[in-house]
Amino acid sequence: MSTPALEEIPEQPQAVSTEIQGRTNWELFRSRFVKDKAAMTGAVILVVLVLLALTAPLFAKVMDHGPNQLFPEMVTEDLGLPKGPNAEFWFGGDQVGRDVFIRTLYGARTSLIVALVATGLATLIGVTLGLAGGFRGGAVDTVVSRFVDIVLAMPVILFAIGIAGVCSITSEGCLGGLLQPGFSLVIGIIALFTWPNIARIVRGQVLSLREREFIEASRSLGARPSRIMFRELLPNLVAPIVVYTTLMIPNNILFEAALSYLGVGVPQSTPSWGRMLADATAGSLFTFAWWMMLFPGIFLILAVVSFNLVGDGLRDALGPSER
Amino acid sequence: MGRRRTLRMVGLALAVAMVAAACGGGNDNGSSTATTTGGTAQKGGVYRTAISSFGFTQGFDPTAEYLGLAFNFYGALTRNLVSYKHVAGAEGNKLYPDLAQSLDGVVSDDGLTYTFKLKQGIKFGPPVDRAITSKDIEYAFERLNIATLGAGYGTYYYESIKGMDGTAKEAKPISGIETPDDQTIVFHLKQKTSDFLYRLSMAATAPIPSEVAKCFNSKIGGYGRYVISSGPYMLQGSEKLDISSCGAMKPISGYDPTKKMVMVRNPNYDQATDDLRGNYVDGIDIQVDSNVDDIFNKVLQGTLDGSLYEPPPATIVRQYITDPAKKQYLHSNSGDRTWFVFMNLGTPPFDDIHVRKAANFVMNKAGILRAWGGTTFGQIATHVMPPSVINDTLGQDFDPYKSPDFAGDEAKAKEEMKQSKYDSNKDGVCDAKECSGLIMVNRNTPPWTNAEPVVVDSLAKIGIKVKPRELADHYTAVQTVKNQIPIGMDTGWGKDYADPGTFGAPLFGGPNIVPTNNSNYGLIGLTPEKQKELGIKVPPGTTFPSVDADLAKCNQISVEEQSEQRTACFVDLDKKIMTEVVPWVPFLWAQNVTTTAPSVTKYEFDQFSGYISLTQIAVNNKETVSS
Repeated sequence: MSTPALEEIPEQPQAVSTEIQGRTNWELFRSRFVKDKAAMTGAVILVVLVLLALTAPLFAKVMDHGPNQLFPEMVTEDLGLPKGPNAEFWFGGDQVGRDVFIRTLYGARTSLIVALVATGLATLIGVTLGLAGGFRGGAVDTVVSRFVDIVLAMPVILFAIGIAGVCSITSEGCLGGLLQPGFSLVIGIIALFTWPNIARIVRGQVLSLREREFIEASRSLGARPSRIMFRELLPNLVAPIVVYTTLMIPNNILFEAALSYLGVGVPQSTPSWGRMLADATAGSLFTFAWWMMLFPGIFLILAVVSFNLVGDGLRDALGPSER
Repeated sequence: MGRRRTLRMVGLALAVAMVAAACGGGNDNGSSTATTTGGTAQKGGVYRTAISSFGFTQGFDPTAEYLGLAFNFYGALTRNLVSYKHVAGAEGNKLYPDLAQSLDGVVSDDGLTYTFKLKQGIKFGPPVDRAITSKDIEYAFERLNIATLGAGYGTYYYESIKGMDGTAKEAKPISGIETPDDQTIVFHLKQKTSDFLYRLSMAATAPIPSEVAKCFNSKIGGYGRYVISSGPYMLQGSEKLDISSCGAMKPISGYDPTKKMVMVRNPNYDQATDDLRGNYVDGIDIQVDSNVDDIFNKVLQGTLDGSLYEPPPATIVRQYITDPAKKQYLHSNSGDRTWFVFMNLGTPPFDDIHVRKAANFVMNKAGILRAWGGTTFGQIATHVMPPSVINDTLGQDFDPYKSPDFAGDEAKAKEEMKQSKYDSNKDGVCDAKECSGLIMVNRNTPPWTNAEPVVVDSLAKIGIKVKPRELADHYTAVQTVKNQIPIGMDTGWGKDYADPGTFGAPLFGGPNIVPTNNSNYGLIGLTPEKQKELGIKVPPGTTFPSVDADLAKCNQISVEEQSEQRTACFVDLDKKIMTEVVPWVPFLWAQNVTTTAPSVTKYEFDQFSGYISLTQIAVNNKETVSS
């Protein structure tokens, strides 16, 4: 007897894994971030700004216009008023005949350097102190918290103006040459007034984390406090630190602009958007020379908005672990 | 009495108007937009103006105050033995008797005694309300003599009047001043002082009532809020001042340093005793408005009658210049002032005269003038003294560091630099380490901040690399000798009174170097003893040229008898300073620019103080001030 012609037993599908491929945290984060249109827009703008900042000297060389070079032809003969955008000076001239386009690009360097370094410094100080205070508790925490309160209570602008004034007279500046009018002073002032915010955040996070079982386990295994802080706590803090730092940067960009606007930021020879805005408002010059206000203003807004968008995107993409 | 007085005042007004019209336009050096003084005068109305901040150096106390603007106010509030007509030009710099009956025969033959007879019928304003006597004038000098109170120009009196040395602990009679009766005052001098009459025109010598001022003799500036009028106007609210005791006194309401100064007519003032002032406006209302653009916009709209102190920004000047109807309301008058870059001979590389001369050659003065706002604001300076202070006997024709179009001559500068010890390879560019990292003090407001890149750029051409510091309190920085600031572009000097001697000793005299409030920025005439006294160290072998002998020679020539010779002597000194000492790079002889609204029917400029003449302008608004 013959076996019935069985239909071709359909081939069992190959052992395609029925498990859902787990994605790493990084891949999750990346896909979430990329899907966020606002965040991506911010990121693109940011990349463009960074590129412009990096290539500013190149532009200066190619166009043969230095950031501090004076061009008498860009200032009117009779009253010394600036002349507007033309083929050679894309963003026009400022009140002393400097190239606004080149200065705007160099201003991006100033803003980015100051914001990144100052924020980095503030983060370093704030995370260290917040970690120490939150984990150790007791006297350490009290000292750190009072320190935080004192700094937060200080009148920022008055202090900044005062410090800048005092450190301007002698050629060495303050703190034995550490704080000199210019980048070091501005970065110092910004770091001084912004580290408490991140210290508070970190301390709060640490307070909630330290009661968790994995900390207890570590402790019961005999780990030293410093090991617990840096090997157990810190990795769990990375997400909120990254988000908060990214959101701090635009604030510090504005802080530097404000200090420069008031004349206590970087000196004139270092182009700064804040200082350029101050030059535009002096004597209501912008009512005549609109270009002096428009271009640095737009760039400042773009820098701040793009960092904010990226920061928000980071927070959303990092998901619940950030909380 | 009423009708005669009115006729007299009309006659006076016409006379003043004619004089003002005649000397209108006299001092518009180099200004293409200058408008003349003059116009029609009618009594009444209030001159409403504003200022960003008063900025008095010593609280408006006339014994100590040194701000030029304050002298403008004192011209309305107080009277002196001798004073000015508060008009523009050379006429505005002439001395006339004010409280004194006459200047004839006032000086003794040996020049050591000055005798004045006071006019009758001159009274202090409320609440003092009594006749001014010679004792009140002497009291002003007693206050000047108090160590803690004296004026920034106190040395004018300590060096001239017997019995005065600025070290008194309290108000005490001065041995060199006699008051034989209420109407007579006699000054005995230590030596012939050729410009003594000018020194008596300064605000610190106006009569002061001791019953009020005695309460403020321990702290500098205290009397500033209680100034009692001896002139045509008084601080509003003076009559309400309670002078029954020191404790009862509260600051006069009309002057609040952060808010306003309002002046109203002094009811005790008798115009018949005064042929120097027109006094047309009923009041002067000065509000504090920190927004300078706002002040000038208000003048354009007419809510203010004119500006007072700040120079108008270029955007405002443009509106006046380009509108033929408005052009006449932009006034540019000689400020009798030089703006300059100073170099400290005690700090390298400025101890080398070749470096200083090179700096003069290379400076792009045309660029600085553009940054300043153009020719409305002055003309480029080529030597120390502004032409208007030396009777126009020396102008831009004397320029030892000529450059094409004043833009700086880099080639000549480098030639000069090659001779300097700081240029080791003789290429015309400084290469020594002393030439970089030099602190340059600057103000933190335009136009100085706008001129800064021009100065930095010019100096860089000869290898001098400066680090500019924009300071709000720049004067303290550069006037404190111990700071040893190498170079500054914040400095300027205006005349104290219309004599070239005021551009002499305070700026270039060795004995005039003081540890604080020092105006001899270059340290000209510094001696090793003084160096020790001041506690500063200079590189060994540094020589400080001195012009003390020349100053003494010129100061001997009296103003009264030989003013031409005196001026010529100082002109020679100016030339010597620019060619053999070279402590400065002068860049601007400034004009003071004021804008007025059409309501100001008669504009006048007070050449003495350098601002709008409050006692000679007339407005046709119907404003009033409460007395």
